[in-house]
This record gives sequence, C-alpha cells and structure tokens, in this order.
Amino acid sequence: MTKYWKSLDGNSIQNKKEKVEKKSSTNRRDFLKTFGFGLASTFILSRCENAAHKAIPYLIKPEEVTPSIANYYTSSFFDGDKFNSILVKVLDGRPIKIEGNDLSSISLGATNSITQASILSLYDDTRYRKPKVNGEDSDWGTIDKQIIDQLKKAKEEKGKIAIVSPTIISPSTKKVIADFIKEYPTTEHITYNAISVSGLLDANKESFGKRIIPNYKFDKAKIIVGINADFLGTWLSPVEYTKQYVQNRQVSEDNREMSLHIQVESGMSLTGSNADERIIINPSEEQNLVANLYNYIANKVGEEEITASKPTMKITELGNDLLKNKGKSLVVCGTNNKETQLIVNGINQLLENYGKTISFNQALLTKQADDLEMADFIKNIDSYKGIIFYDCNPVYDYPAKEKLTNAIKNIELSISFSAIPDETSEIVKYVCPAHNYLEAWNDFNPKEGIYTLSQPCIHPIFDTRREQESFLKWAGIEQEYYQIIKQNWKSAVYSKTNLAFDFENFWIKSLQDGIIELESNSSEPKYKNDLSAIKITEPKSELELHIYESVHIGSGKHANNPWLQELPDPVSKVTWDNYAAISPFLSKEKSLKTGDVIIISGTMEIPVLVQPGQAKNTISIALGYGRTVAGKSGKDVGTDVYQLIKTDGYKEYSTDITIEKTKVFKELATTQLHDSMEGRDIVRETTLDKYKEKPSAGNERHKEIEKHHNTLYQEYVYEGHHWGMAVDLNACTGCNSCVAACSIENNVPIVGKEEVKRAHEMHWMRIDRYYAGDPENPEVIRQPVMCQHCGNAPCENVCPVGATNHSAEGINQMAYNRCIGTRYCNNNCPYKVRRFNWFDYNKSDALEGNLYDPHGMTKDLPRMVLNPDVTVRAKGVIEKCSFCVQRIQEKKLKAKMENRALQDGEILTACQQTCPANAIVFGDLNDKNSKVSKLFEQQRRYHLLEELHTLPTVGYLTKVRNKKGKKSNNKDHQKHA
Amino acid sequence: MKPDILKFFRQFLFVKLVILLSIQITFASDNDSKKDYESNNGYSSDELKIGKRLFHGLIITGDNTINCASCHNTEVIDTFNWNPSALEIALSTQYMDSSAFANTLLNPVTKRISEVHENVQLDAQQILLIRLYLDNIKLNGLEKPKMLVKRLAFFILLIIVFIVAFIDLTFTKKIKFKPVHGIVMLVTLVFIFKIIYEDAVSLGRSQDYAPLQPIKFSHKVHAADNKIDCFYCHHTAETSKSAGLPSTNVCLNCHELVREGTNSGRFEIQKILTNMENGHATEWVRIHKLPDHVYFNHAQHVGVGKLDCSECHGNVEDEHLAKQYADLSMGWCLDCHRTKKVDFLGNEYYSKTFEEYHEQFKNRAIDSLTVAEMGGENCMKCHY
Repeated sequence: MTKYWKSLDGNSIQNKKEKVEKKSSTNRRDFLKTFGFGLASTFILSRCENAAHKAIPYLIKPEEVTPSIANYYTSSFFDGDKFNSILVKVLDGRPIKIEGNDLSSISLGATNSITQASILSLYDDTRYRKPKVNGEDSDWGTIDKQIIDQLKKAKEEKGKIAIVSPTIISPSTKKVIADFIKEYPTTEHITYNAISVSGLLDANKESFGKRIIPNYKFDKAKIIVGINADFLGTWLSPVEYTKQYVQNRQVSEDNREMSLHIQVESGMSLTGSNADERIIINPSEEQNLVANLYNYIANKVGEEEITASKPTMKITELGNDLLKNKGKSLVVCGTNNKETQLIVNGINQLLENYGKTISFNQALLTKQADDLEMADFIKNIDSYKGIIFYDCNPVYDYPAKEKLTNAIKNIELSISFSAIPDETSEIVKYVCPAHNYLEAWNDFNPKEGIYTLSQPCIHPIFDTRREQESFLKWAGIEQEYYQIIKQNWKSAVYSKTNLAFDFENFWIKSLQDGIIELESNSSEPKYKNDLSAIKITEPKSELELHIYESVHIGSGKHANNPWLQELPDPVSKVTWDNYAAISPFLSKEKSLKTGDVIIISGTMEIPVLVQPGQAKNTISIALGYGRTVAGKSGKDVGTDVYQLIKTDGYKEYSTDITIEKTKVFKELATTQLHDSMEGRDIVRETTLDKYKEKPSAGNERHKEIEKHHNTLYQEYVYEGHHWGMAVDLNACTGCNSCVAACSIENNVPIVGKEEVKRAHEMHWMRIDRYYAGDPENPEVIRQPVMCQHCGNAPCENVCPVGATNHSAEGINQMAYNRCIGTRYCNNNCPYKVRRFNWFDYNKSDALEGNLYDPHGMTKDLPRMVLNPDVTVRAKGVIEKCSFCVQRIQEKKLKAKMENRALQDGEILTACQQTCPANAIVFGDLNDKNSKVSKLFEQQRRYHLLEELHTLPTVGYLTKVRNKKGKKSNNKDHQKHA
Repeated sequence: MKPDILKFFRQFLFVKLVILLSIQITFASDNDSKKDYESNNGYSSDELKIGKRLFHGLIITGDNTINCASCHNTEVIDTFNWNPSALEIALSTQYMDSSAFANTLLNPVTKRISEVHENVQLDAQQILLIRLYLDNIKLNGLEKPKMLVKRLAFFILLIIVFIVAFIDLTFTKKIKFKPVHGIVMLVTLVFIFKIIYEDAVSLGRSQDYAPLQPIKFSHKVHAADNKIDCFYCHHTAETSKSAGLPSTNVCLNCHELVREGTNSGRFEIQKILTNMENGHATEWVRIHKLPDHVYFNHAQHVGVGKLDCSECHGNVEDEHLAKQYADLSMGWCLDCHRTKKVDFLGNEYYSKTFEEYHEQFKNRAIDSLTVAEMGGENCMKCHY
C-alpha cells in the first residue's frame, strides 16, 4: 500500500490509525463494571445531603449599596503614560468593569484596551501583600522607622536623595512631594517617560516658548499627515484622537465628505493600516523627507528654504494636498528627534494650522519628562545616598540597566512603591507597596484646565499604603492625603470656577462627574522661526531597527495582564509575543519566513514575522516584552528591546543593526492564519469619488442577492424587539478595545499561548484583517466579526439537543446547560464565531482533572473580576456572542419598572460602549427611528456572506477610501497570504 | 457468558456492600471517638455519666419537673426547638463561675425561663455535674443521630431478591414453577428502577429543605402574629435581583426595644445584640439556591410581574421554620410562564413595545397574553 504523506513531520495517516487501535483497550466488560459502579455511586451520593451554603447579609447595610445592583463610580486611569477618564462598575463591593466617562472630553465614553484590562491588575495575584525589607515581609511601623532614620541621616550629611517617577500630573501629589522636599531639602525629583516625547517638548519650547504638547484637533483637519506617529493606537492620547479622527471619516448619504489621511511610516502601525495612503520610509529617511516637505511648501508660499539633500521619494503630491488645505491640515510626527519636530512645527506654521487644528489651549500634560535630566541622573547616580522609585520601573524600561542595577545594590536607601513585583522593586531595599489605583484617592490634571478625580472603589485588599501617605508620614506631616486633595481643589480648582454653590457641593459634583473642565482662553503663543541651523541627517542604506510601542502592552508596565497578552496585535494578530517585523522583500532576500529566529546585533534572539507594508530595510520590534520579573503571564514573554534604545542625548527609537540567521524556529501564536478573502466580497469597499456619485458603490451585489432571498419555511415574526447591530467598516480602526471589553463583560476565559497556537482562543468577537494589493505596500481592511445572529441560522437546525435556537427578539440564543458539545453548530457556522470549551478554563467543573488554567485565572483573587450576571462556562460546551443579553435584560427591566418604553441608545453592548471610533451601533430594528434602523437604510449596508441566505441581523457598512481614482476598486483586488 | 454476568453481579454487590459498610464504620467510629469520656480534668467517667443522667432526668432529684433534655436537645435535630440546645447553653455560660451558673439555673430573671425553672431542685454538687456534662458537649458538640438507612436497605433487599430469583431461575432451579421467578424479578426490577429514577430526579434538588438556622427566627411570629410585611425585611425584592436578607441593623429597628420573645425568651434575641456588638454578621443557612447557569431576578417577578411572595415561597407565615416550598425545577418555572397572564395594558413598556398586540387588545381580538406568548419560553430569558 502506498504511504500517503499528510505533512512533512512524518505522521502518515496510517501511522495514526495504528496508534489509535492500540490505545483503545477498553472492552465491554470494563464498560459494564464502570456502569454498575456509576449507578451504585449515583444512588449513594443522592442519599447524601448537599453541602449547606451560607447567606450572610450586611451587619449595617450601606445606604447606597443594593445587593446585585451595580453602582458606577467615576475615576481616572493614568499609568504614567496615557490618561483616561473612567467609570468603574462596582457590583456587591467588587469593581468588575471599566467604562469610559462620557462627560469627559478626553474619553467621550470610550476607553482603550489597556484601560479596559487594567481592572485585572487590582486582582493580580502577584501583588505585594505587605511591605518588605530586603525581601523579607515586614510591617509599616518598622519600615517607617528605618526609612525615617536613614532620611534624617542623609539630611544631616547633606547626602542627595532622588525621587524618580514618570511625569506626575496629580497636583496634590506634586504638593506632597514638594512638602517632602521641604523637609528633606537635599531631595531632587527626577522624571522620565519610558516612551519619551522629549524631542517634541523641547521643539515646542524653542518654537513657542512653551514646553508642552499642544492640543491636536484631528476633527478640524481635512488632511492628516502622520509621520511615524501611531495616533490611533499609541501616540499620546489615542482614545481622544480616535474619537476626533472618525468624526471626519464616517460618511453617510447626507454627508459625503471625509478627510484624507496620509501616513508616512516605517513599520505597519494601526494608524498606518487605516490611512488612505501610506508612504513607506526607513527611519533614517524621516528627517530628509520632513525637510524636503518643508522646502516644497516654503517654496510655494514664498518662505526661506533649509538646506537638505534631494528627497528619496516624490513629495509633490503630498505637498500639494497639504497646500490645498491650508489651515485645515495637520501634520504630526512621532519621532523623539528635536530637529525633526522643529521642522514639523515649521510645516504646520507654514500651513497656518496653529490656532486652528493645533492649539495651545488645553495643552496635553501627560508627558513632560526630560530625557537629558534622566541621562544626567544616571551618569551621577553613584553620588546619591537614597533613591525613591515612584510608580516606575527603570531597571526594566530604561536602557542603562546594568549601571542602574549596580547603583541600586550599592545604595543605602532604595525604596520602591511598586504594587507588584517588578525588576526594580526586586532589588531595592525597601518595598512600600502602593494601593492599586482603584483603591485610592487621587487627582489628575491631564490637560490644562481639566481636572479629574479618582476615588477608592474597594477597600484595600492587602496591607498596602498609597505613595502620598508614605511621603507624608516620612516628612512628618500628620494629614490625610484625602484632606490634602480637598484643600488643594478648594484653592486651585474651585477658586477658578465662577460657580454659585459652595465648595462642599462643588466637591460632590466633581466626584459625581469625575471631571471639571475650566474654560481657558489664553492666547496662542507666537511662533519663532529658526531652522537655518539644523543639519539634516542623510538617509542610510544599512539595515535599521525601528522600535515602537505595542498597542496592548504599551511600555511593558501591564505585561502581567493576561487579558492584554492574549489580545491579538491589531496588525499582525500575534498574541503572547513580540517579533521582528520584516518586509516581504527582506524575507526573500535573506530567505527568512515567519517564525525563524534571528539574532539582532549579536545580542538578542527574536522570531521573525513577515509583515506586508514594512519598510524594505527596516525591522520593527515592539517594546514592553521580555520582562524578567513579573507574574506568570508577563515573565519571559517575548524579547526586551529597551536596551537597544540609545540614550546619549534624546532617546533614539531607531538604530542601525545587523541580523544573523539561526536554525531555530519559534512558532508565533497568531489568531488569524489566513489573510485572504479567497476572492469573495467579505469586505466590500469603494472609493470616495465613486461613493459621491452613487452611495451603493461597491455594494451592488447586495440588491442582487436580496432579490434571490426565498424560503419554503415560515419566517420569524418579531413582535416586540428585533435586536440588530450595524458595524461601520469606515469607522473601525481595529484597535481591539471592543474585544477586550467583550471578554471582560462576558467572562471569556484566557487560554494561553499554547492553546492560541491551536486556534482555541475564546474571544467572542474578533477583528479580521485582510491585505490587498502590492505586498510591499498593501491596503489593509478590517472587519469586526461577532455572532451574526442570523434570522435563518445554520447552527440552530443542526443542534441535536436544541441548545441553540432563535429567540422572539431575534437573538440566536445559546443555553450552555443544555449543550452536550457535539460542535455541529460550530461546523455549520459559516462565520466561525462559535467557541468550544476544550477544557475547564473557569473551574466550573466538578472534576479537577478538567481544569486548564495556565495563567492562574481561577485562583480566588482573579476570580473576583468575574461578572456574576454571566454564567462561567464549563468544559465541553459551545459559547458565543449573546449581544450582551444581560445588558439588554437589565435595561428592559429598568424600563418595565419605570413603566415606559425603552429608549433608543439606552442599551449599549460592551463592544459598542467602549469603541473609540463609534463603529458599532446596537439597537432595535423594529423601531424605525432607531439609529441602527437608520444605518440599515443606508445603501452601504450589506451582510457577511449574505448569498448564503443566513439573514444576519448584524449589518456592515462598506468601507470608503479617500483615494485618487487611478487605483483599482475592490473587484480586482490581488489577495495574497 | 454466564460466568461473566455472574461475576459482574458479584462485583456489583460487593462494591455496594463495601460502600455501605464503610459508611457505617465511619459513623460508628465517629461516635466511638466522641464517647471517649476519659477526660484529663480530674473527673471520672462515672461523674460524667451522673451529669448526663441528671440532664436527661434519669436521676430523680425530688422535684416533679420535666427533665432538662426535654427542652434542651443534646442531639442534632432537624425540627424546630424554641429552647436553646445543650450546646448553646454550654457556650453561652462558659465564662460564668459556678455560683452565677447555679443562680441562672435556679433563679432566672426572665419570665419564660422562671416559669419553667420554677420547681427545679438541684443541689450544688448536681449542678456541678450537669455543668461537667455541658462542658463535655461544648468540647465534642451535639450527638449525631443515627443515619437513616431504611430506603437504602430496602433497595439492597430488592437487589438481593432479584439476584436470588435470577440464580434460582438459571442454576439452582429450586422452584419448578417458572412464572414465580418472572413475577418476582419483574416486581423487584420495577421497584429498583423506581427508586433509581426518584433519586436521580431529586439529585441536586432540595424541595422542603428546611435547615436549622443560627438564630431561631420564626416567620410565623413575625409575619403572621405581628403582621410585618414581607418587604419590611426583604426590602429589595421589588427593585433588585435578590430579595435581600435584612441586615442586622434592620432587626434592631424592633429588637432595640423588643428584647424578650413569647416563645424563645431572651436567648435568641440576645444573639442579634451580641452579633451587633461583636461586629459579626449573622451567617444564615441558605435555603433557596438556583444553579449557577440560571438567572433569576426578583424585580422582574415581584416588581413588574406583581407576583405574590407566596406563589413561589408558599405560606411562610404558617410555619416557624422556613423551608423551600417549590422544587425550583425548570418545569416548575415554565409551568408558571405558560399560564401566567402578563399585565399588558397596565405597563406602558408592553403596550408601546408590542404594538401589534396592543392593536389586537384594542380590537378585542385577544384579551390576555401569557408570559410564554411574549417570549417567556426563550432560553435566554433565564440562561446567559
């Protein structure tokens, strides 16, 4: 018999069969014995009494708490990098979900994935339980005494003390630190940002005399040019920018205008993948390109040019587009190079953007650190007697690791406030664990004139203490931090408002709203032009490294959050790892394929990922991975590239490298293995020009298919509600916040890297990403896919036990307790949205052996985050998107109790609620005036694989690209893997 | 083939017996260890025995009163007893000295105890011995009643009869008239399956479950005799998912003043005050517990559906001890959903959402709708 190869690893089909036969030695007699024993034990067990459960009411019930009814408290999320104004859902005393605060102009109700997932850090099992001295558990009394003694000694000896922190935007914390410095005058406060924008700040200082980040207004711009600035994913304030950006991107039949977005970048970023046009450059070409763009515009408007060598690519079109939209354009650049930022300022000035699309009113304050200050500190670190690390982890996220480590080990007094073990706290003498941000009072000043509060939503779980209290204690100030915040607000905030009510009422209102926005009308600063001294660096031809911030992991601070680790990267769809993104060109040249491990500059090993759209001579690697001290989920995940950042002068996030091939192969855990639509119009798109002519452009097939819809069966009649969802593909940026929110709301389990590799991830919704066109510079398109809740569902009629069927409100419902796990529905679903519990991920089974919990999510503490209104699923059942039925039922009940009809927009699904791009709209299709019904009337509406007659109630709106007519439309896309 | 089956039955029986035996042995050994009266406190087991007999009234002390154990149970019981158990007495008096203990016993201050204890005649030595017995109970807990094995024994008997009949039919052939075997086997088989079926159905269900509670709270006294409304204590039943157990401060709304009950005297009410002073919430034993995959909301049923509490909980005011009235099975839920009429016109939500039905109501085409007719049978009404 011929031996057929199934795959190259040597497992022929025949081999497998033999193995199976050998294995099954169970015979009929064993079965009968087991059966008999089972019967006997069932009988015996049934005679035993069930374990008694307890019901414990409050001793004194707090007035505002009603068991099983959630309270929402305003708060603020700030991790030293990005700010978000939030609402915390507290149910029965446990914070279980975070939502954006819709009163805040920064978040407008939305959040990013990091903010969403940050709630799990509260229940992180690796958190410090107690203060520690030299790695041994201690108590606050002892530790305070020792620290105060040492501080006093240093004060007497005039020894220098340093407080190292990221940018502090809390006015009250600043005051506390100032008080501390007053008590110990030799103290210096040094700030640094792991991902620095020092160059931008200093450029603004030089151009405008103000060392701040201006307020960018993406909604006011008709043309947006992003130069290596991932403003939709990671740059400065991505949620705010996304909210602004989509305002000009969502077209409708009444408004057929949209902005033009051109992205100039080295690696394929989230922002770049949304751009109408991408210009690919190597990092070393950036300054040259910016200078030439400046010269082109300066030439046209009659200003002086700067000396620069010839551009490496055509910029006339870009320049003309910008010139056409003077005062309505916006050029942003993500580089940390001061000179480049100065030229970008010059471009914006020539385009008359200041005061229009860029304003110094309400300037962003989240990043103010100075690279040079930190570099100076590291140089002289041995002269310090004591260092206090406040909310930072420089041993991991500052490049000069070795020097820092040695210095800390030699220093007498080293203190870390870190709440969870990290690289820095592991080697300091004193660990004074701080509260999680959900356990503590604080205030923030994220933008000029905007003040927010954060308030404790839960009693501190462990014996921790907020940093400010520690400072106060050591400075000998007998005052509570809460009182300081209140006093500070009275003098600094309340005094600036012209409110009629007194301070106590103001304070209550501020707490209730979570945010106070003061009006500010300071005049725009004058621009000073001095670009003549800049020497433009020449583009290089060597291989370059481009270091970027990952959308979900950020600076690496949240690396121990399994929710974030398991979220697929918005572009590459890789989870649980970072990788070296190389271009298809380089892949061919060096014969590297995805998963091949290479050695970068002889120091670090990292697997390769072939990324379409990557600059030919550039390799991109994300920061935030390769933590050496973290919990189970963060430790040794990926490779740390902080050490490759150059720190002489401004931090440089790009550098020359050499690569070396190895024979090692490391499989990346990717959630999407297939990048092709196989010639079907799964995503329909058109260009703006065509859309202007005909709103149904690109969606001609929809009408055609609708004509053929015919059935022999009786169709469903939806008497009351008929829930539907519209997804605007033109708005969706693919940031994955919705996936995070969905997983948190619906208790979706973490499966871990190995299971993701086997395509067993459990996310109820995913964002499919397809490439089209030239592999070196492809067009990217994204599509959020959740259960389509078909009106003629293929899954429903194959279930042998009726576990999935149709509800009277059009929901394709799933009864977990009825499911026996045949997976017929899974096989029959054309959208692959059903997920099967291959193991017991949630500890909901009686049998211990079924448990599969690689990241400790079933321990008592992390389990506190589970939503009690959603069942945790056991092994062997199918689960899928339920349209957040718990939210539907909750709001329906509220309407019934208030004796009124439901309002449109009252029910927000978790994905819709958190979406910064307003891409998802949920509502009642029976209500003709609902937002979703209006969107369904749009001619852009189509359904996924609608030719199958599954009649989904999820509708998609075609993608409209604002590109010049010469390019092809969707009909002749070149799909490639 | 035949030896195989025989072997199987032998093994089956063996397994059954082993399990049965092991259970009995466990219980027996449990009791044995507890009966180890040889204490190191300098008292002999004889003295302890006297103490026990005094408590149980087996030694006549000259008075005609009923014995202590007739009011204060020394065994674990599953019926309602107003009076504190021997263990509770032991615990509450553990810090008293001998004279205070004797004083409480012989000259009680409260009305109810003084009525009962009026004629008690015990000398100091006897009181000491009773106390010794109570101390022993404090250490070892209440005696456990013997396990009920009646049904299990019957089940085993049935199996044995069946097997005997089977063996006689196939091998020994003592009874020549074959239909006897048939009838015996058929009858036993029917009963065997009946028991298995009943036990399998009741697995995980707990109708009539009425555990003893840490405080002898009586719904009869509160809801029937004193006519306190259900919502006074379970005040979130109309607005929240859970009806809510009253927090201790709600109890104190009345018991701040009402310190002595007609049935229970001061002992039970004192527990609330002690809990409040110590800052311990009362740990009630939960009676109604739905499986995790069921979502039930009181607000929907009581607040919107205007169901009376008794429809699901029975007449709680009739009995002292609260129990699970319904079996809380899915069939029971659906029976109600299929028959209960929705107050369609009384709530604007329904009349505005279901416009088609509203028209039909207006035209007198229909006069009522059941919950099920409005989607009340959908899985995702209760399972999500």
